[in-house]
Parts: sequence; structure tokens; C-alpha cells
Amino acid sequence: MNPITRKLVAKELHLYRWLLVGGTAAGLAGLLSATTGEVGFNIGFIVWLTAVIALGVMLALFGVASERKERSQLFILSLPLSHRDYVRAKLLGLLTCFVLAWAVLSAGALALIAVMPGIPDGLLPYGVLLCIFLLMNFSVVLCGALHIASEAAMGGLIILTNMSVSLFMMGVGRIPGLGEHMQAPAPVWNTPFWLLVAALLAATALALALPLFIAARRRDIL
Amino acid sequence: MHSNLFISQTDARPMYLQIVEQIRQRVAAGDWPPGQELPSIRALAADLRVSVITVKRAYLDLESEGVIVTRQGKGSFVADAQGLAKDMRLAQLDAHLAAAGEIARSLAMPEADLVERLRDALNQETTE
Amino acid sequence: MNAKVIEMTGVRKAFRFFTLEDVSLALEPGQIMGLVGPNGAGKSTTIRLLMGLLAPDAGSIRLLGHAMPEDQAVAKRDVGFVSDDMRLLQHASLAWHMDFIASIYPGWDAAYAATLLKRFGLHAGQVARSLSTGEQAKALLLLALARRPRLLVLDEPTSGLDPVARQELLTEFMDVLRDDSRSILFSSHNTLDVERISDRITFIDRGRVVAASDKEVFLERWRTLRLRVTGAAPAWQLPEIVHRDVDGSFVTLTVDGFSEEFLARLGAPVQEVHRMNLEDIFVATVMHSRQAQEARPS
Repeated sequence: MNPITRKLVAKELHLYRWLLVGGTAAGLAGLLSATTGEVGFNIGFIVWLTAVIALGVMLALFGVASERKERSQLFILSLPLSHRDYVRAKLLGLLTCFVLAWAVLSAGALALIAVMPGIPDGLLPYGVLLCIFLLMNFSVVLCGALHIASEAAMGGLIILTNMSVSLFMMGVGRIPGLGEHMQAPAPVWNTPFWLLVAALLAATALALALPLFIAARRRDIL
Repeated sequence: MHSNLFISQTDARPMYLQIVEQIRQRVAAGDWPPGQELPSIRALAADLRVSVITVKRAYLDLESEGVIVTRQGKGSFVADAQGLAKDMRLAQLDAHLAAAGEIARSLAMPEADLVERLRDALNQETTE
Repeated sequence: MNAKVIEMTGVRKAFRFFTLEDVSLALEPGQIMGLVGPNGAGKSTTIRLLMGLLAPDAGSIRLLGHAMPEDQAVAKRDVGFVSDDMRLLQHASLAWHMDFIASIYPGWDAAYAATLLKRFGLHAGQVARSLSTGEQAKALLLLALARRPRLLVLDEPTSGLDPVARQELLTEFMDVLRDDSRSILFSSHNTLDVERISDRITFIDRGRVVAASDKEVFLERWRTLRLRVTGAAPAWQLPEIVHRDVDGSFVTLTVDGFSEEFLARLGAPVQEVHRMNLEDIFVATVMHSRQAQEARPS
């Protein structure tokens, strides 16, 4: 990674540090609330989920679209970098920002499931799948932000991805081999689980790689 | 030295001409003595905030008039103005006299009257 | 070093409603070129092509000897680019920007930056968001100037500035040129500034380069002549006459290519000969060019 890319990644981290701290704090607060009984669990889960999704959306929007709209993009483009460097740095920078918060909140959520006696450990595979799905979700939104200039289209993409989270949560429970083990006292790591993990990771990788082949290759940056 | 030159864009005369005239005046008055080095073209351009090409043109004109000499690689210097300033002044005088003669002829003024007027003018100068 | 700092040859770029056609531009080291043109003429497009932000459909672009847009990462190391629609990162402070730029460019002159900060009346601790348009413009120029780049490419650098700031900026520009290896390309509406400090001037209109010359050549070639004619004005067929204005027995000619020899060919007695300022030369050139374009069979 060349020095400019490194500096730009550091710049993203610096610029969004309060967003990350705030989002992580909100998510952790949700996890805390989840330890206080059933009502607390439901509220806490929603807070945690919202924190992760909102963080991803805001990073993608502020990190890409706002910069473009505010014409700060021109300032970055005046630096000694190519368009490819710019896209790579954006991708890496915003991904790093998200992953930092996501890793903490995912670890926290999984730890919560494992440690809390009231929550069956059979939920662990479900939890892992959900966390990876949220990572994939962010990657898709980020990929969209790097290619889509229209605000309306971006809005549409965000609505779609949000809907997909709900659909995923409802749908996973119906997958044979996954749903029936969710309430089990011990986690079941079976083939359907690993297949789904692989599929989600592949989709994530694709979403992150696409900008490097499309957006980065654009000859007209503006 | 050079910060005393003043270039005005609202002046009708082109900028390079203003530079030429102001340098010529200072040389003729003796403020810029013969042998003194002129500021480099770029330095003067930067001080006056005019383009390099304008100063270059002014220096070329001054050199062709013999007011300055440019030595390759060393810079521009006020020319040995001993005979030069005087030559310039004489040329100015001749031009004025020719113009006066022209006007006198057009008024059909006799020579004696013209000489009389010249004497008056000279006397006025010395009483100032 | 005789290599040109900027070399654009036959550049073409087509958009939906506008096409930049056959644009050629050359800048020698140590020179300052003013790019003048009406709104929408293609000045910003030309500059963005130069900086590698757009790719040409045809023609070649070399910036400090590097092919653009392919080698823009290397080329931009020595170029300071500021555009009037550029903004700082809104959430960061001016100090952050200065540190950021200083860490990227080895040529950063901290002392000079501090001087400019004071001269432009800016405070390092201010967040970009809280700066006015003019202050952001000055900040961006400070960031470019303090790096002491070999080439400054400026798109309407003085458009958002008050008269005092404008003068300060022009002083800094001319300071840059004390070093004859450094050059400036700037586009501007302000023909007064362009006339004062440019060595070379390029006129652009409707996507084409309409004229390009040394400034002094422009100022020497163009004149307005006032003549008094008896009877009808003769239909002079001289190519130097760009425009004629007849008001009764008074004729005003706008001439491109004035000389004693031209006066001889004109044959008529001339009452007054006036030099033209760059603004008038520019308007006359553009009008003439547009007439010629319209007359051309398509």
C-alpha cells in the first residue's frame, strides 16, 4: 500500500472517530440492555442492530457521497494519486472504520449469547450468520455508494438492504438444518451453516472487489 | 531602488512604456547613476506585479535607446550616461524646437518674434 | 530545462451538450499563462483534462512531461491545483489540512505557510465548515502555495476574493515567478489581472481555442481607429479589419494586425489610433470568431 493510500485511510479513521465511538457505544448499550430480562433483550437487540446498520449507512453516505457533493473530492483528487488509488483508499478506509466497530459489537453480541444463561447457545450459529450478513450488507451499500451518483438511487439501495436484513432474520429460521437448532442448549455447526457462511463471505468479497474493477477503471473521475 | 517605480493600469499608456519612462527619468536625473545594476527582470516583475514579458520589453527598449546595457549572464546596468543623458536631452530639445518652428511657420511668425519668445521663456526659467 | 511544462495537442472531449474541440496549449517553464473565456467556454474542462480528472477522446496531454491521465499520480507531485469549486474537508480544521499536506509533500515550507496564514487573515484552529467561501478559497491557495510546487494550475483563483485578498494573491503569484523554473496556468474572468501579470494569453470560446499569443503581441496587434469619411464609407477588404462601426461620417475600425504598412494599405486619413485593453480585445476576438463559425457551412 503506497504512502498516500495509507494516509487517506488514516484520514478516514480520524474523520469518523466520533461516529465510530458513538455507534459502538450505542451498540454496547443495547447489549447491556439485553442482559436485563426479556423486554430488555428485545429493546437491546433492536438498538444493537440499528447501531450496526446505521453506522454502515452513515459511513458509506458521508464517506463517499458527501465528499463528492461537498466538492472535497476535488481536493483529494488534487493529491498525487490515480483514480484507482482513490477508490482503493476509500474502500479500505471506510471498510476499516466499519470493521473496527463491527468486530467489537459482533464479539460483544456473541459473547452475550454464550455467557447469558437465559439465552440458548444454539443461537450462536444464528448470531454468527447475522453478523456476517451485516458485514455483507455494509459492503453492498459501500459498493453502491462508489458507483451510484444519484441520491434517489442510493436511497433506494439503502431501503432495499434494510429490508433484506429483516428478510434474512426471518428466513434463516426456516432453513432446514439451521432453524431447528436455534433453541438448542449447545451450538450446532453443521454443513448448511458453513455453506451459508461461505456464500455470505463470497458475496461480501464480490461487493468489495467490484469497485476495483468498475469504479476504479473509470477514465472520467468526475 | 525599484520599489519606487509605479505602474498604473488606469494610465492610458502601456505598462512597458511607463516602466521605460520612469527608468529613463531616474537615469537622466542621476538617481540611477551609470554603472548601477538594474534589478533582474524577474525581480522587478515580481516587485511591480507585472508580467515578466512586460519588463523584458521595457529593458529591450531601454537597451536599444542606449540607456542601459545588458551583459550576457551578468545582468543589466545603467549605461555610461555621461554623454548619453545629455544626448537624450539634446534630442528632446531638438524635438521641441522643431515643433515650435512648425507652429511659428503655420502662424507665419517672423524669426525675430520667435527668438524673442524663446528669450522670454529662458528668462522665466532662470527666475524660478 | 527546455521541456514544456504543459503540452496539450489537438485535445477533444465530447459531452452531451458541449464539445471541446481541437484544443492545443503550451506553457514554457517560468511563464504565466492566462486562460480567458466566457462562462461555459470550456476553461474548467480544459483544466480538468490537464489534471487527469477527465480523459480526452482524442489528442495528447503532457503535464510536466508526463502523459495524462495515465501518469497523473506522478505528475501531481509537482503540481498545485486549486479550483474555485473545490472545498476543504468540511469536518477538519485548517491545521489538520496543513499537517496532512505537509506529510504528503516534501516541499512544504512551514515558515512560508505561517506567513501566508497571517497575510490571508486565517487561523489554523478554525474548522473548514466555519470558514466563509472567500476564506476557504484562501486556505486552499495557501495549501498549494506553501508546497512551492513547480507548476500551479488555478481555475478562477480570485473569483471568490475581495479586492484586498486579490491583490495579495497576485503578489504571491508574481513571487512564485521569481524562480524561473516555476510556472503558473490560471483561468480567469478578470481580464484586468490577466492583462497585468500574464506572459501568455489563450482565449477560449465555445469549446475552441480562439487565439493564443504573448500578451504584448495581443496589445500591439490590436487597435481601434477613428476615421472621418466624406460620403459613403469605402468597403475596405483588408483582413485585419475585424469590425467596423459606421456612425454618419465617423467610422470606427477594430483592427487585428495594426502596422504602418496597414495604414498605408488603408489609404484613408486616420483621426485617432487607440490601443485596446485586453477586455476589449477579448470581446472583439470572440465576436469575430463566433461570426466566422456561424458563417461556416456545416
